[in-house]
Amino acid sequence: MMRKSTQSLMALLAAAALALTGCSDGGSQPAAALDPNAEPQYTGTLSILTKFGGDPLEPYFEDLAAEYKKLHPEVSFELIQETDQSIKDKTKTLTASQAMPDIYFTWAGSWANNFIDGGLAADLTPIIAPGTEWGNDFGESALKAFAKDGKYFAVPLYNNGKFMGYNQRIFKELGLTPPSTFDELISSCSVLKGAGYEPISFGNKDGWPGLHYLQQLFAYEVPADTLQADFSPATAKLEDRGYLKAMDQFTRLVNECTGSGKDSNGVLYTTAQQALAEGKSGMYYQEILEFDSTASADSKLKQDGLGIFKLPAAADAKGDTQAIEGSPEGYIINARSKNAALAADFMKFVTNSQNAAKLSAPPYGQPSAVKGAVSTENSSGPVIEGIKQVNEASAAITWLDSVTVPAVADAWLAGGEALVAGTQTPDQVLASVRAASSAAK
Amino acid sequence: MTVSDTAWKPAASPPAPVSAKSPRNRTNKSARSRRWRNFVWVLPAVLLLGVFAYLPLVQNLGFSFLKWDIYSGRQTFVGADNYVRMLNDPIFWKSLLNNTLYAIISIAFQVFGAIILAAMIEGLRSQRWRGILRAVYFVPSAISLTVAGLLFYFIYEPEMGILNAALDVLGLGNFTQAWLGQENTAIFAIIAMSQWQGFGYCTLLFSVALQRIPSELYEAASIDGVGPLQRFFSISLPLVREMTGLMMIVTVSGAFQVFNEVMVMTSGGPNNSSQVLGTWLYRSGFVRNDFGYAAAVATAVFIITLVLAVIQLRISKKRRVQW
Repeated sequence: MMRKSTQSLMALLAAAALALTGCSDGGSQPAAALDPNAEPQYTGTLSILTKFGGDPLEPYFEDLAAEYKKLHPEVSFELIQETDQSIKDKTKTLTASQAMPDIYFTWAGSWANNFIDGGLAADLTPIIAPGTEWGNDFGESALKAFAKDGKYFAVPLYNNGKFMGYNQRIFKELGLTPPSTFDELISSCSVLKGAGYEPISFGNKDGWPGLHYLQQLFAYEVPADTLQADFSPATAKLEDRGYLKAMDQFTRLVNECTGSGKDSNGVLYTTAQQALAEGKSGMYYQEILEFDSTASADSKLKQDGLGIFKLPAAADAKGDTQAIEGSPEGYIINARSKNAALAADFMKFVTNSQNAAKLSAPPYGQPSAVKGAVSTENSSGPVIEGIKQVNEASAAITWLDSVTVPAVADAWLAGGEALVAGTQTPDQVLASVRAASSAAK
Repeated sequence: MTVSDTAWKPAASPPAPVSAKSPRNRTNKSARSRRWRNFVWVLPAVLLLGVFAYLPLVQNLGFSFLKWDIYSGRQTFVGADNYVRMLNDPIFWKSLLNNTLYAIISIAFQVFGAIILAAMIEGLRSQRWRGILRAVYFVPSAISLTVAGLLFYFIYEPEMGILNAALDVLGLGNFTQAWLGQENTAIFAIIAMSQWQGFGYCTLLFSVALQRIPSELYEAASIDGVGPLQRFFSISLPLVREMTGLMMIVTVSGAFQVFNEVMVMTSGGPNNSSQVLGTWLYRSGFVRNDFGYAAAVATAVFIITLVLAVIQLRISKKRRVQW
């Protein structure tokens, strides 16, 4: 039997622990709308969390901050520049410690909704909604990607979409044309393999490259309404046969088209990107944002020519074969920022036509969400073509790891890795995702 | 020198009133002020330790009873729910198993393997070779775990890694694989890297322990015709017991706190096969937004390492060596 003193000590410890955590009902309130007439005070420090860490993107915000400071010498900047991988941790750390900067990066979907629901995103409706002076600079679909309940919460910076990039010289040499069906894609792989090329280079060490294939295939194989309902645990059933068919296709693609096959979980995505850049592989599935870095000025791919095509759907696909995976990425203004008006002013500066064109041009190659910013004058051919196809698509399907809740996304990620390694069947993967979705209700 | 009870004592007389300046009063006062001074000297350290070590521990315990939405700041008390979930979570158990594997293999290599290697090095006649070998084995320990993890990632890389290339050259092409990309090899590949990294450090510590053993013992054994193997088992091994105990504590605790190398090399994948408690608590918090659950896992890690440390300390206390 526990001694009285021990019992007392444990009770005291538990009470102290709970007291120290400050167990509370939270402070979540709908963010107040930004006053469109508020005059910014051009003093103080603006803190910005970007996803432009590392080469070649890092100078973009640095240069803009320097230019803005020339215009307004009393304003200084604190730039926190992270990479695509590290920004997730950084954002959550800052959120948990209630130290979010004035302006911060966001993906669309569940990722952005967390900030909106938590009252951390300023309501930008009065200044950026379609029909407003600033809002008219953007494509409506880009603005809607960050809308919730009729309100607009982020500044879309650039658009994005996922395409199969291919080496035009190799395709021409082997008499191949961009495939229009999934079976044609698989057939072209054997031709490439026969000629000594890796058909599709694929590196799934981080898990998300596999998710990108899966999400595009789900869009093709699962009816759109069902797919949308399944993203949310509250309405998810995850019973459509299309999921299993899409996973079978993905497994087939990994086994028949990639050089690394079942070993792909041990390969970095940058290694796969490099294989296309060096002319060792015929194809590599990539985002528009990667086009200019894959086909950089001194790469073999630049000489051979980078072509793109949408991942082809199966001939009998039951979903939306005109949908494309991708979504704009943008920046939120912190609802709790003391410099909200100044932050909005700076973001207007970032998205003016000159800076939007700069963003869309090499070496950045990030196709700006500002209308008319992507043009033959400043952007590479593949970027222009990619954006054109994104604009023409019937729907933009947000990335699987940001459209659904984290626990479900994580289950898909593990499942994707298991499919690659061949350790689980599509049925088993779907069952584990269903369990994660039920638990997240 | 102590005075016995039977020593002469002066006849009792009424105690003289203690003046403020009496010697006894001064002694008490100075003792009190010395105690205060001592207390003031240690206070900063106590405060720092309390604020940065013990307070977060207690806070973490509190978080483990909550469902915490970091976006809204909403914290809901859920009692032992997080612990119940943890005990029913197959990935938690998988992580615990991987940590246990880590501990067992680390004990084999970094404790027993290191003793043997240290004994072999110290058994060399050449002072210069002893120094060179100690340095050679110690170098990997000077490399940060993150750097070592990245280095080994490229060694294990299936397409360009030198491990598979070496196997091919040796005619062992059948054994090539994605060491970090396969569920059945990922954790072992990481553990192997850890052994490479930590082995030299343990060897160096055992070398130091062996050097402290009086050489007369070995000389006497040699005169009695005792061979090197028996000298090792009869003299070296028993007399480095304390160091062995210490290394066991450090190694086992380290095995249950492992994080960096797993994070760098696999992030716990593929399909959570190389997940350890550290990476699973990180993933639960920072990927799945489940901070309350992550705190419960952190509490489990703390309890496991604390219990292991207490057990090992008790064992090593009994094995104290004196000569």
